[in-house]
Amino acid sequence: MSYLEYRVQSVPTGWRKILHLNWPLVVLLMGVAAFGFLMLYSVAGGSFRPWAEPQIKRFVLGLFVMFSIAMVPIWFWRNVSAVAYLGSLALLVAVELFGSVGMGAQRWIDLGFLRLQPSELTKITMVMMLAAYYDWLPAERISRPLWVLVPLVIILLPTYLVLRQPDLGTAILLMTAGGGVMFLAGVHWGYFAAVIAAVVGLVAAVFESRGTSWQLLKDYQYRRIDTFLDPSSDPLGAGYHITQSKIALGSGGWAGRGFMQGTQTRLNFLPEKHTDFIFTTLAEEFGFVGGASLLALYTLIIIACIVTALGTRDRFSSLNTLGIAITFFLFFGVNMSMVMGLAPVVGVPLPLVSYGGSAMLVLMAAFGLVQSAHVHRPRQK
Amino acid sequence: MIRTPLRPLARILTARARGENPDAIERENIRRRHEEMQARDRARAEGRLVVLGLFFLAGFVTIGLRMAHLSMSEPEEPVAANRSHGITMQRADIVDRNGHVLATNLETFALYAQPPQMVDPIAAAKQLKNIFPDLEEERLIRDFTGKRKFVWIKKRISPEQKQAVHDIGDPGLLFGPREMRLYPNGRLAAHVLGGATFGKEGVNAAEVIGVAGVEKTFDGFLRDPANEGRPLQLSIDLSVQDAAERVLEGGMRIMNARGATAILMDVRTGEVLSLVSLPDFDPNDRPRPAVSGDPSDSPLFNRAVQGVYELGSTFKIFTAAQAVDLGLVNPDTPIDTRRPLIQSGHEIGEFRNKNYGPTLTLAKVIEKSSNVGTARVAQMIGVERQKQFLRDLGLFDPTGIELVEARSGRPLLPRQWHELEMMTISYGHGMSTTPMNLAAAYATIANGGHVVSPTILKQTEPQLGPRVMSERTAAAARAMLRQVVAGEDGTASFAEVPGYEVAGKTGTADKPNPKGGYYKDKVIATFASMFPASDPKYVLVVTLDEPSIHAAGRVRRSAGWTAAPVAAELIARVAPLLGLRPRVEPGQRAGITLTSN
Repeated sequence: MSYLEYRVQSVPTGWRKILHLNWPLVVLLMGVAAFGFLMLYSVAGGSFRPWAEPQIKRFVLGLFVMFSIAMVPIWFWRNVSAVAYLGSLALLVAVELFGSVGMGAQRWIDLGFLRLQPSELTKITMVMMLAAYYDWLPAERISRPLWVLVPLVIILLPTYLVLRQPDLGTAILLMTAGGGVMFLAGVHWGYFAAVIAAVVGLVAAVFESRGTSWQLLKDYQYRRIDTFLDPSSDPLGAGYHITQSKIALGSGGWAGRGFMQGTQTRLNFLPEKHTDFIFTTLAEEFGFVGGASLLALYTLIIIACIVTALGTRDRFSSLNTLGIAITFFLFFGVNMSMVMGLAPVVGVPLPLVSYGGSAMLVLMAAFGLVQSAHVHRPRQK
Repeated sequence: MIRTPLRPLARILTARARGENPDAIERENIRRRHEEMQARDRARAEGRLVVLGLFFLAGFVTIGLRMAHLSMSEPEEPVAANRSHGITMQRADIVDRNGHVLATNLETFALYAQPPQMVDPIAAAKQLKNIFPDLEEERLIRDFTGKRKFVWIKKRISPEQKQAVHDIGDPGLLFGPREMRLYPNGRLAAHVLGGATFGKEGVNAAEVIGVAGVEKTFDGFLRDPANEGRPLQLSIDLSVQDAAERVLEGGMRIMNARGATAILMDVRTGEVLSLVSLPDFDPNDRPRPAVSGDPSDSPLFNRAVQGVYELGSTFKIFTAAQAVDLGLVNPDTPIDTRRPLIQSGHEIGEFRNKNYGPTLTLAKVIEKSSNVGTARVAQMIGVERQKQFLRDLGLFDPTGIELVEARSGRPLLPRQWHELEMMTISYGHGMSTTPMNLAAAYATIANGGHVVSPTILKQTEPQLGPRVMSERTAAAARAMLRQVVAGEDGTASFAEVPGYEVAGKTGTADKPNPKGGYYKDKVIATFASMFPASDPKYVLVVTLDEPSIHAAGRVRRSAGWTAAPVAAELIARVAPLLGLRPRVEPGQRAGITLTSN
């Protein structure tokens, strides 16, 4: 049951909406982005080019996008969820088609001023779609098998398209975020227990089958798993990233080597030091203190989202806000785990810090939705 | 489920009796029920939210603890030091075919400190600051007087700097030998060599690993101590490479092209004597890969083996050769060149919309480069035979030359290959290959019909693969190619180099627009050639990216005006270096002398 349009009269209108934004969230986002600018400035050897300057421009654009989305009532965004979802699916299919006509693997579409990765966009539109679906679905039907099937299709369609690119990191993110929204919507425990049991069983079977006649994976795939479990077994190959970033983290120590003093990153030991592995630069230059501060900022952003979600009364606003929080959490959780060797290396950027336009703009748009839910939440009389 | 009724009969009756509106009771009950449902929903949602919160918390705690654990661990340099005896020093040299050095090693030193052994850290820091002005004194003092047992100061220092540090005389300042890769010829053959960087690093050694080109392909060989310092000998000829680079660079500038590539290949061994791709870079200071823009504009992009282009009319000779080999035609057979030739709703057009009249002989079709005529010949061959022949020539697969970049240079084939595609491919449109593929296919025509696989390693004897066309066919194809340069209607008359009998074919293809379709004013101009035509020794492919010059009253982009003269200049420069003697073609001279007397 939806409680949208509930006491609309009490919602601020016009420019007064700006006063009712979730300002702590805005400040936190700026703080995290500032970390990013600092790091990009540092990895470029103390220069705004080639990374920091475009990143700053994109963040400003992102802020503008966020404020614009926040000004539009959240029920409008609920009503266009399906369109947005289908649109991003169409873009994914388009990338699939044009990607093979053009040369090499293309994951993005060129909009002229920026290259948009539809897989990034899908992360948000899928959450919106699921939230809108549960907003529409009467509560007593949520756990019925047929009505559980629909969101599964909503999740698995983009996952399949993204896997074909191939982009394992995004696929895992989509599935986990989608599952999270379903869980919050109140789908029965049993379904999740069954899925988890199946995954655990599959993993066990994969390991059990190694070396037997019914081996499930190819040998080289097992070797990749081995490398993840023990990176030092292949320090120059697949384990290279992890070994180097562990050295960077270790040499950062408590307070770090100081701004622009990181040798590990400065001497080009780490590839992708401005994108997925930017956290190593932070850890080396600002040490545990810097890393923990960033983690704290991320935590506060999640808390700000939860506060917004608790303030809303309709299912779309709260599920969408929390779904975005989950996505955001997965972003930095997976990235940090990967950098610190807790998870295998899959290409997931550090949100708002890593260099890259699509991810930043899409995240800012997502926070725009959170803001819109916050501004248009029902208020006591 | 037992529910409280919305309209309890007793209460309704009482209300009626009192004269009140009984609907008010129902409304009140509905409101209550809604509130209960909301409360239940909320309770469950909040329960789920708590679980999610716990999950978040677990994530944060795990990451935080891991971060703390890693930061508290000892810096790992000393650990790396223990491993350093496992690092093999002395990477093998790379030399050209005559033994000239292309890549070698330079001994340098890394400087580090062990603060516990230092006698006077403050003074040492001051003096170090004098030697290396970019170091910060306070920082050094902090490092030397702190708890650290090991501090890197500089990763590479010169012998003079090393002596100066020696003169400080502090036992806590130590040197670790470092081997550094040096390319004494600078940019020369940059795309072949690739480059190297430091890998595993310890106190007493740092590993040098190849990152591109032959340095990466043969990384294992170059590092293998079992080779006992035997150098890696390439097929490149240093002086030929130098001449080719100079000519191509000049040619690229004159033709206003944004890029260019040239491949010179021995037709019997497949050895690449020279491989140039412009723009290039200095492997001693390899630039970073660009983060934005088209990767194919990067100086790191090897156009010869990575660039996949539609190579245009250079393909026509394959169609002609196959038709001759199958016995369908001979060079004198008249071919229908009437326009329009319509296939599947598309017209096969001609360059500059020319019209070559009703018929041309096959030799003239090649000489004048008629698309319609070639497409007619392709119709005689048919789709399946055409595909098989091009596959046999190696145009469907990456060339297998020993450069890591070549693996990504996979030819692009049309998804469907029907009549229309067969026709356009017969004159080199609709299918893209690397210039290296083209050079290898031309080598087959040049050596009498054998497949050769391009190689960057020096060979001692011919490496002829299976035969794909007869000796006679190859000779006929060469004669046709010779006419393209020497004939009165030839499109490549600018490619003539007196005495070296150049034979070849021009190709001008519109560049595909990434947004779909083709650019009207951007072309890839290619000239594929062999010399000397009567007994070819070498194949030369020159490709210019977006050339345009103003000549004879208008803007010229076609290969005959751009790539052909560059190739001619290149041949004129390198042929003497290759030991070819200029020869006046038999017959022609005799005729002139007789009549003039």
